This record gives sequence, C-alpha cells and structure tokens, in this order.
Amino acid sequence: MRELELYFGPQHMGMVGNFSITLSVEGDKILKATSNPGYLHRGFEKLMEYRTWIQNFPLVCRINVIEPDSMEMVYAMAVEKLNKIEVPERANFIRSVYLELARVGSHLFGLWAYSNMLGFDTAAQWAMYHRDLILDLFEELTGARVYHIYINPGGVRRDFPKGFKEKIVKTLHSIGGCVPDYNDVFFNNRVFYERASGIGKLSQGDAIKYGAVGQTLNATGISSDIRKIEPYAAYDKVDFNIPVRENGDAHSRILIVRDEMIESVHMIFKLLDQMPEGEVWNRTPNPFKWNIPEGETYVRVESSRGELGLYMVSDGGDKPYRVHFKTPSYNNGLVILEKLLKGANIADVGNIMISLYIIAPEIDR
Amino acid sequence: MNESLTSEIHNTFKNTKCSIIGDNRLLIKTENEVIAALLKFLKDKNFNRLAMVSCVDWIKRETFEIIYIVASFCIENPLNIIIKTEISRKKPEINTIIDIFENAEPYEREIHELFGVNVIGHPRLIPLLLEREYKIPPLRKDFDMRKYSKELFDSIPFIGDKK
Repeated sequence: MRELELYFGPQHMGMVGNFSITLSVEGDKILKATSNPGYLHRGFEKLMEYRTWIQNFPLVCRINVIEPDSMEMVYAMAVEKLNKIEVPERANFIRSVYLELARVGSHLFGLWAYSNMLGFDTAAQWAMYHRDLILDLFEELTGARVYHIYINPGGVRRDFPKGFKEKIVKTLHSIGGCVPDYNDVFFNNRVFYERASGIGKLSQGDAIKYGAVGQTLNATGISSDIRKIEPYAAYDKVDFNIPVRENGDAHSRILIVRDEMIESVHMIFKLLDQMPEGEVWNRTPNPFKWNIPEGETYVRVESSRGELGLYMVSDGGDKPYRVHFKTPSYNNGLVILEKLLKGANIADVGNIMISLYIIAPEIDR
Repeated sequence: MNESLTSEIHNTFKNTKCSIIGDNRLLIKTENEVIAALLKFLKDKNFNRLAMVSCVDWIKRETFEIIYIVASFCIENPLNIIIKTEISRKKPEINTIIDIFENAEPYEREIHELFGVNVIGHPRLIPLLLEREYKIPPLRKDFDMRKYSKELFDSIPFIGDKK
C-alpha cells in the first residue's frame, strides 16, 4: 500500500488546538508520528528576563490557560525560596484549597475535551457547566475568571470573603452529587469502555524510560505525586490517597482523572475544617526596589497533569536572570505521544492525545 | 544517604564539587567530559527520572552553563540532583545523552534552537518552537528583543494615511 504523509491539526475536530502532528500513514495504520509544537510560542522565558519579580505574575499564569494557578504557585514558591520568605499558616491552607479547586476545574475541562472527542455531548456539556460553577467561585475570590493572579510571594492577595467557605461547600456538594450521573452516562458506558480500553497502552517500563508524569505515570501502576513526595502549601497537614491503576491505557488515565477529582473534593472539605485564623500575607519589599539575592533553585508542584517544575536563577538583580519551566505536557506531548502513536489507527489519534492530557501552550511557553 | 552518595561521587569523579542547596536539592558541579558517566552512575543509583535539561547564558563569564536535573521515581525519595557544567561560549558543544535518558531529546533540541548549542550525536536537530531563523539564537543575552521587534515590525509597509 502507498505511504502517505498526513497533517493532523492544528485546526482539527479531534484536537484541542494549537498543536499539530505529522503522520506517515499506510492505509489506516500510522508508521511514524512527529509532534509539531510552536503554534503558541510567545517566548515567555525571554520576556520574563525583562520584567521585575512582581511584573512576571501576569505572564506566568498565561503559560497554562486551563490551570494557571499551579503556575502562579510554582513561581511564587521559587521567589520565596530564593528570598527566604515565610508564608503564614492560613495562607498555606488557602493556597491548598485554591489549588485543589483549580485541579477540579482543570479536570472537568479535560473531561469535557475527552468526552466531546468521543461524541458524548451530554457529559461534555455537564462538565463545562460544572467548571463554570468553579470559575464563579474564582471570580468571587479573585475578581477574575480565568487568569486569577491570586497567589503572591509571602501569601495570597486577600482573605476569603464573608461566607465564602459555605459557598465552596455548597458548590462542591452540587458537583459531587452529579458523580453517579457522570458514571451512568459516561464512565460506565460500554462505548467509552470499548473505545478507550487498550488504546494508547504504555507499559510500566516504558513509562519510566520516557519519564512519564501525572496520570500517564499513575495509570501504569506507579504511585507518584509531588504533594506526597515533597509536600508544599498545607498538603502535609491533610491525608489523601493517590489514585493508581494498572492498565496504562486511555481508559485507566481517564478513570484516574475522575478519581483525582473526587479525592480533591474530599481534600478541600478536610482543609476547610482545619483552616486556622490569622494573617494571609507576610509583607514583601517594595516591588520597585526588590532585589533578590544571587542563587538558583528548582521547585516543583503537582499540577493537574503531573509534575511541574521551575528552575530559576537570580544574579542579585531586580529581574530573574533565567527561568525555565519543566511542564508536564512537554514530556508527554513530545516524547510519549510519538511513541504511542506508532502503530495506532488514525481514528485513535485524538483519543490518545487527549487522554495524555496535552495542553499546547504549556509546551510552547 | 546524602553523605554516602556525595562521598562516592567525590571518589569516583575527579574535579567534581557537591553542595547542598536548600531542602532535598543536591548541586553537583563537574566537567563536561564526565557528564555521561555521572548520569549513568546516578541512573544506576535509582535516579532514573530526567526532569529537565536547561541552559544559562553567562555572558560576562563567556560561558554557557548546561544544567541537568535528575530525580527518582520512588515516592520515598524527594532528592533532586542538579548537575551543572560549563562550556565555552565561542564554540558551544555538548554530547547528547539520549542513550541514557530518552526523554532528553526535545530538551536538547530546544537548547540547540534557543541557545545555538550544538548537540553532537543528536538524531534530529530540527526546529522545535521557532518560526524562522535568527542570526543570534533568541535566548542568548546579547539578543536584543526590543531592537529585533522594532526591526521586524517597522519593515512592514504602512497602510493608510501617515500623520
């Protein structure tokens, strides 16, 4: 049969955008796949070298559109590490609640993308609606729906408004109450099972070899979570489980997304119960005269897609000398996707890609 | 565990300096020649997860600093090892580490593209993120972003009435 070259994306129905794959196909079978990022490259790492420590916050959160909060967190943590700033106890709890809310919102978005791709429009619309409820919470807390710029070095920008705790509980109860419905419509659906099980199967050895992170790693039976390995914010004060599955295919990855969401909701309730009173921000120096001592640091957090790292160098000036983000989609999208697509069918490209939870702006930065 | 690891590294590799920066971060400064051997040594010690390969342009010292960060997949081991090496800025060259860590491939491509560091032995040094070729690779410190954007956008013919 004749070998053809096929361009998949960046404008394609089965993709979430801004990313393309070049496929060599023979009939329906993929012989070779090449990831082709760069459609959203804005040079943030260069731009950040031209801006002061505080001015960088609006840039940092734009690296990831779906979940900007973990980006803010990792940047704030790096600044705190370099300048040795302490964070008040209450701010740590608020940060954790905020990051978990963001995780639920991000997973709902991922669920939307995946179920929409499979043709489950009902579940997709529900997920988008429930994400909107979480965005409403963010709007009340921070004044913005998508890019919140809420975490500050030394704490958070402001305390919870009056009655906000009850609002979180109410919203999460209404989302959690719909989990059986999601199960009926989507997760226990035979079509989902048949379309997803065995697709994009990654063995445990390959996951280690290619440096998988997040759901892709946990779906192969390795339990890994930065919140447990190296607790930040208030994650060491609360008990939670890491969902792990054995099969390593798209089915396991999506079920882990669901389990993580449920685990996050439980965690938020526990955090809200234990939350102490007190200050939420330790005053930092005047941002125009803020020089950070010379040094370097590598910090990492668990974003909704896996380990997110930041290597930052300061030369003692008022701007970062070098920043480099290690984003979870980078590895999954450029290394693992190419390996998994080899030998797959054209119909499964979107399925494999979205189940790996690849977000293109994160790769491009 | 850290002490035994650092003393073993000191004994095995000459001209290597280990220091602890912050919690769970071990910094190793070493020469470019021993990087592959050191990474292989650490991989055998269960540090089998390459977190990133990065590069810093120290224009005043006329060097590039190549950074490798490795960690473990084990949930009880939070230690991250930052390995640093310096190469000359005039003829920047490193050897590929794909045969040790396969996921280094896009990182090395990115360094090649954004810093102009030549990676010897890399199977495909094709463009990763950028749209066009640059005279100076854009993440080097002597690349003037403001001058570049002025040249690029002012060369577009102006349409409409000029005031």
